[in-house]
Amino acid sequence: MSRKLFVIGLDCAPPKLLYDEFKDELPVLGSLLDESSKATLHSSHPPITIPAWLIMVTGKTAGELGMYGFRHRKPGHYNEFYIVNSRYVKHPTLWSEAGSRGLTSVVVGVPPTYPQKPVKGLLVTDFVTPGPESRYTFPPTLKREIESRYGKYIFDVVFRSEDRDRVIRELWSMTRQHFKVYGYLAERTKWDFYMFVEIGTDRVQHAFWGYMDPQHHKYEPGNKYENVIRDYYKLIDQGLGELLKKVPEDAVIAVVSDHGAKRMKGAFVVNQWLAEKGYLKLKKNNLPPGSDFKAEYVDWSKTVAWGWGGYYARIFINLEGREKNGVVKPEDYEHVREELAEEIRKIRGPNGEQWNTKVYKPEELYPEVRGDPPDLMVYFDDLYWRSAGTLGWPTLYLRENDRGPDDAVHDWFGVFSLYDPQESFNLSKSIVDITEIHDIFSSILWG
Amino acid sequence: MEREVGGGKYTTVSIPTTLYRRIKKIIQGTGFTSVSSFVTYILREVVASYEDRIDEEPFTEEDKQAILEKLRKLGYL
Repeated sequence: MSRKLFVIGLDCAPPKLLYDEFKDELPVLGSLLDESSKATLHSSHPPITIPAWLIMVTGKTAGELGMYGFRHRKPGHYNEFYIVNSRYVKHPTLWSEAGSRGLTSVVVGVPPTYPQKPVKGLLVTDFVTPGPESRYTFPPTLKREIESRYGKYIFDVVFRSEDRDRVIRELWSMTRQHFKVYGYLAERTKWDFYMFVEIGTDRVQHAFWGYMDPQHHKYEPGNKYENVIRDYYKLIDQGLGELLKKVPEDAVIAVVSDHGAKRMKGAFVVNQWLAEKGYLKLKKNNLPPGSDFKAEYVDWSKTVAWGWGGYYARIFINLEGREKNGVVKPEDYEHVREELAEEIRKIRGPNGEQWNTKVYKPEELYPEVRGDPPDLMVYFDDLYWRSAGTLGWPTLYLRENDRGPDDAVHDWFGVFSLYDPQESFNLSKSIVDITEIHDIFSSILWG
Repeated sequence: MEREVGGGKYTTVSIPTTLYRRIKKIIQGTGFTSVSSFVTYILREVVASYEDRIDEEPFTEEDKQAILEKLRKLGYL
């Protein structure tokens, strides 16, 4: 039997906060969760917003989707890359499948949906949309409807500003507007499937985790931002209080995040480590701290591998025949990759402590590897240490993010709960893999 | 099925009769002489907005730089 499904997407929401620490202070979300079957979501490889949400709505792995993050290297180019957008999505999404079955969807903020594609229903694109001047809705006239009621749509906040009060003001005003729009769209059309992704939960955690978590190296008891994350979840709860009044009583309601969050211990300067180990040859050694990694800084004729920064490290091998100045012979590629992976696994922390670093070849993780994958995917110390791609640092271990302050990194575990007033749908497992969600949602929507 | 009217080729598309009636009502006195001409006009507008852009890069160089800066600040790069 076909059922209506309403999906509350909270980017980066971890079970620790939502299920444990905050739940009892959230009257709406807390009681919804109390009446739901709850599971821990196991995120994707890599546990990053893109591809995670797309994996959820297609049931495909990052390898099958050919999406390993927001940006991808143009094959054969050391410097050039492209940003993923909806045109790279080649697999059916839940809303396109729903449409082909005659069902109507409302989709708001699910990455990557910009540029907007036609959908049987309503669509507002995600936070990678360049701005409110872009065409960001389907149907196109929906943009005018939204803006005439709620002003220019706010896709994201200006982040990492040292002015934390400003970040708070912007987050609150964005989120209030979003919930008005979610509510308007919930009543604007008779839908079968409704899914929104609120990015604010991710932003507030990245900006304020160190003020909240006593285990974080920056934490100071009694600081003025200690409760910002908690208060933000309360704001979400207020928004949901109004929004859920507009959701039909018989709808199944899911609460889901794409990955979790945990404190950042620091950033590991991957390219300087590669240089120290002789895998990367830099032409200059006196770059100012934080210099971008640029192809012109590198002697490619003596370079075996280089890396990218981010919540995980992408390592590329300078392979002959594939790269412009490739030096690793195809017959040596596997051996070099193995040796490098082994070296990376041995990296220890700043005090000589053992790290739980995971290194994968893409083909070990995915049934199919499409697009432009890295040669190795690295999670330093099980994601506690992010990867810094920049150069010129006096150390390999940065306590702050190389791109400015960032208190949180991503974690493998997110949330996934289902509330069914008719009690037909329950989660039978305590851990649900993100690739399973598509099938769970489709079984609700069209059996 | 295609047919020719006044030098142009046309085909039939079905729409719900209730929608037909609603359109008929709103085009009264607007210059649209038939539901078909109104529907054609609206659909051309909508379809063109996609066709215009389909070969274009979704991000201009300026957009790309702004997005990169944002992604950097967000810790994705």
